[in-house]
Amino acid sequence: MLVGIDVGGTFTDGVLYGNGRILESVKTPTEDDNLQETIITVLDDLLRGRKGEDIRRLVLSTTLVTNLLAAGQGDEVALILIPGPGLNLRQLQFFPQAHIIKGATDFHGRITEALDGEEVRELGQKIVAAGIEKVAVVGKFSQRNQRQEGQVEEILLARHPHLKVVKGFGVAGELNFPRRAVTTYYTAMTQDAWGEFAASIKRALVQRGITSPIDILKADGGTMPLEASLNSPCETIFSGPAASVMGALALTMDEQTAVVVDMGGTTTDLALILQGKPLHASRGAMLGGYYSHVRSLALRSLPLGGDSAVRWTGEEISLGPDRLGPAACFGGPVATPTDAVNFLAGGHLGPLSLSQEALARVAHPAGLKTETLAQDLVGQVIEVLKDSIKEMFKSWEEEPAYRIWEIVNKQRVKAQRLVGIGAAAQAFVPILAKEVGCPAFVDHYSPVANALGAAVSRPTLSLQVHADTRQGSYYLSLDGIVGRCKGDLQLADVKDLARKHLRQLAAQRGIGQYADRSEVFLAEQFNMVRGWSTTGKLFDVGIKIAPGVIDDYKGV
Amino acid sequence: MVNTFQTRDKELEKGLKERTGLVFFPAFDWAISPTHPEREERLLYTRDQIFEEGIMDLPQIRQYQPRLAQAKDIARVHFCVPHIESQATLAHRIAAGGALVLADALMKGEIKNGFALVRPPGHHAMRVVHGNRGFCNINNEPVMVEYLRQRYGLRRIAIIDTDVHHGDGTQDIYWHDPDVLFISFHQDGRTLYPGSGFGNEIGGPLAQGTTLNVPLPPGTTDEGILFVVDNLVLPVLEEFQPELVVNSAGQDNHYSDPLANMSFSARGYAKLNEKLAPDLAVLEGGYSIEAALPYVNMGIIMALAGLDYSLLQEPDYKPEYSREAPGRLEKIRVMVEGLREVFSHREKLVEEARRRLGPLAQRRRQIYYDTDQIREEQLETLRVCEDCPGYLTIKSIARGPGGRNRVYCVSIPIQACPRCQREGREKYQGAIRKSSRAYDHIYLQDRVADEYGQYNHSTGDISLG
Ligand SMILES: [Zn+2]
Ligand SMILES: [Zn+2]
Repeated sequence: MLVGIDVGGTFTDGVLYGNGRILESVKTPTEDDNLQETIITVLDDLLRGRKGEDIRRLVLSTTLVTNLLAAGQGDEVALILIPGPGLNLRQLQFFPQAHIIKGATDFHGRITEALDGEEVRELGQKIVAAGIEKVAVVGKFSQRNQRQEGQVEEILLARHPHLKVVKGFGVAGELNFPRRAVTTYYTAMTQDAWGEFAASIKRALVQRGITSPIDILKADGGTMPLEASLNSPCETIFSGPAASVMGALALTMDEQTAVVVDMGGTTTDLALILQGKPLHASRGAMLGGYYSHVRSLALRSLPLGGDSAVRWTGEEISLGPDRLGPAACFGGPVATPTDAVNFLAGGHLGPLSLSQEALARVAHPAGLKTETLAQDLVGQVIEVLKDSIKEMFKSWEEEPAYRIWEIVNKQRVKAQRLVGIGAAAQAFVPILAKEVGCPAFVDHYSPVANALGAAVSRPTLSLQVHADTRQGSYYLSLDGIVGRCKGDLQLADVKDLARKHLRQLAAQRGIGQYADRSEVFLAEQFNMVRGWSTTGKLFDVGIKIAPGVIDDYKGV
Repeated sequence: MVNTFQTRDKELEKGLKERTGLVFFPAFDWAISPTHPEREERLLYTRDQIFEEGIMDLPQIRQYQPRLAQAKDIARVHFCVPHIESQATLAHRIAAGGALVLADALMKGEIKNGFALVRPPGHHAMRVVHGNRGFCNINNEPVMVEYLRQRYGLRRIAIIDTDVHHGDGTQDIYWHDPDVLFISFHQDGRTLYPGSGFGNEIGGPLAQGTTLNVPLPPGTTDEGILFVVDNLVLPVLEEFQPELVVNSAGQDNHYSDPLANMSFSARGYAKLNEKLAPDLAVLEGGYSIEAALPYVNMGIIMALAGLDYSLLQEPDYKPEYSREAPGRLEKIRVMVEGLREVFSHREKLVEEARRRLGPLAQRRRQIYYDTDQIREEQLETLRVCEDCPGYLTIKSIARGPGGRNRVYCVSIPIQACPRCQREGREKYQGAIRKSSRAYDHIYLQDRVADEYGQYNHSTGDISLG
């Protein structure tokens, strides 16, 4: 049996999956200040009368880190930046409280300005005097030379061994220094809180006799083992929408191009699945208002849902963004878009009279017929969703490309299907699909698709190798791994190197059985020519285990 | 009407118009030859730098994907021999298309300015193209300018060529156009390719003074170049009042460039762009791919986006690189004064030329294509007209490793009067009718009708687009 639990902002969903079907599903309000409790409650409900040892896998998608970031909780962190020449971070208000120090490394990893040891020592004293124990240190191009970040750590620990220093190169080795700084900072900030949470969950499960692997859902739609998550707590943010998208994939189980419409009470999340693969955001998730290196799915969130309150303000009719309760036809206090659909369809969702009365209470003071209001409301909701879907496809098509073949071969894509998830999907997705011009798919399991998605998502792992034969070195974007390479290295060798490291890292993380599912997504090589002769080669190779469902899962 | 958040979103969108558009197309799969300066590696370190800086994530920047320029976009500017496909490869069409994407974004009001960081470059490509000259086949800025004129009705445009090499291709294309101001400052042609761009090259007889050249002594620094900007470029622009300013933005004035001998810095480039405030900038040359380009490109982007560039600096920069020698500055001052004189008398010069000249004005030239080793002989005839800048006919013979090509071209400018347009088209038709063996190809470029024709003598094919 598999368990998937998706902790959402309002509700927490859980499913128990086994024998090719959903055996049990649970929905309960989320207690924000006691997520462990919520999770355990859902688990106990799912397991009622069943044995904990029968569980083979448990996957959690939680909002803990999202909440920590939103509330500005977590540990206080001193951020030390080594930007060298370039953008003026102060003027950009990029972490105004950050400590910017001397030192610089260039794109070849050459140190072009030395650190000032005295400056770092003084800074250490200041940090300690302020009672701060966590330090994040991040340098521009530190992934190509770890030396200066390492030196800062050495200098700080020499006098203040109790400090905990997190270095940028170990957190995120892809290009983009500000995103590296953001990711490192929030990693340092949330690591301990996440660690405590993980430990308490683990304890509670052991008490229930559950000894199965515990996996955590990530923003990219894949999972990681609980132990691996201790180093990268930020990967757990935005896993809720990822759970829904993976749920859509789990319900459809084919290679179509689809739009996932996750329509809840007050919000709607849109995502794309391109030929069976969820689309990732090109920029990485937003942490604390900044882009980060956390890979996440490309999502569009709209403050509009089936229960958005409809009001007459005295001047105009407003829609949302808040919710006062369920739709009137389900016993709620005011008219909602769901009521408009219900009214127009003659009461197929709930009592027609309840919807009609609620709509009339808004329509009359506005001088509108109830029917006109209902049509306007549905029209507006559909139009907004349709526009957003169009924009999503457009921005995917407009993703920058850097090679001729990418531009020439770029294809326009069209949705083959709209997959509806969430409470309001049944009401709106069929209408929306007609407008978009493709079939709608709304399964009866759609309301718990998110938890199902969590339960059956497979692990993901992504890394890049940057190799420089003139230096005889290569650099991994993961865990700050570096190594030596030969001068006659070829692209095929670098791909092998990438595969080898992926296998090792996957094994270390306890997800080794998926290493052979890896695919190369980036393979570039450049001759370095100085004068008129080639003096070396540069390679960039990216490899990943993409999101998908686990092997045992064959659909419901 | 029901008010959703959507209208509120659109208002928010308005505030984002103050963005700088960026097309980054490094053509990582294109080279003239493996070890040529124009090779895959050229913008690699620039990519590393701008990606690592994270500048594309800033709200001030909006990145665009280039598109393929259409054959017609190219025919508006060039007579490609034997045909467009032979000169404009996919890489060229994407580079030019990158500039077009930004032109559209600018005119739609999505951005306040834009920088097409594209390769291959183009400013040595002339009106007639028999092959590659100075690493160029297709001239990206004129393709963009003529597109803007046709599509959006712009007329008066200024192109400031800040590459270290004389922008002889762009100069050729706008030699007879009084509505396009072309100013090129560059290392003195006596010391550098292509060996032209002297102070006395001021435009065709009916467009005198709207081509200005400032040949700078080798070694000129930030101070000298910014002096030209302050004392020539900006005052002339102020008087010319263009609807659009384009920076033909080469980066080979840099002190580390291996193909030239100037002493311009990354911060100098930033300052130049801040002062010039171009609406659109298009990358041209620049071959110091490690020591200069990553920093110069950052500088240009930062200046266009209004970001502080005071912390930008090459690792090996020394302040003395930017300080001008007094003797050199004096030389530059004298040149600048002379050119301002020419510019302020331009209308009188044109008037005199109209009086002096008969109905036709001719210029005979030899053009060398260094990359492709082609020699072209050209006879260009301008119809001197009272009412418009006049149409051009060009006879051109090129000899090179690929054999001989003889072409006859008619170019009708966008400002042509009805008579010139009619006469020009008759010349084209007449040449086809005669169908003598004198030409392999006959071309028509009618910018008034936005029609472009080509006749192939050996096949008898006529195409009109
Ligand atoms: Zn140049
Ligand atoms: Zn005329």
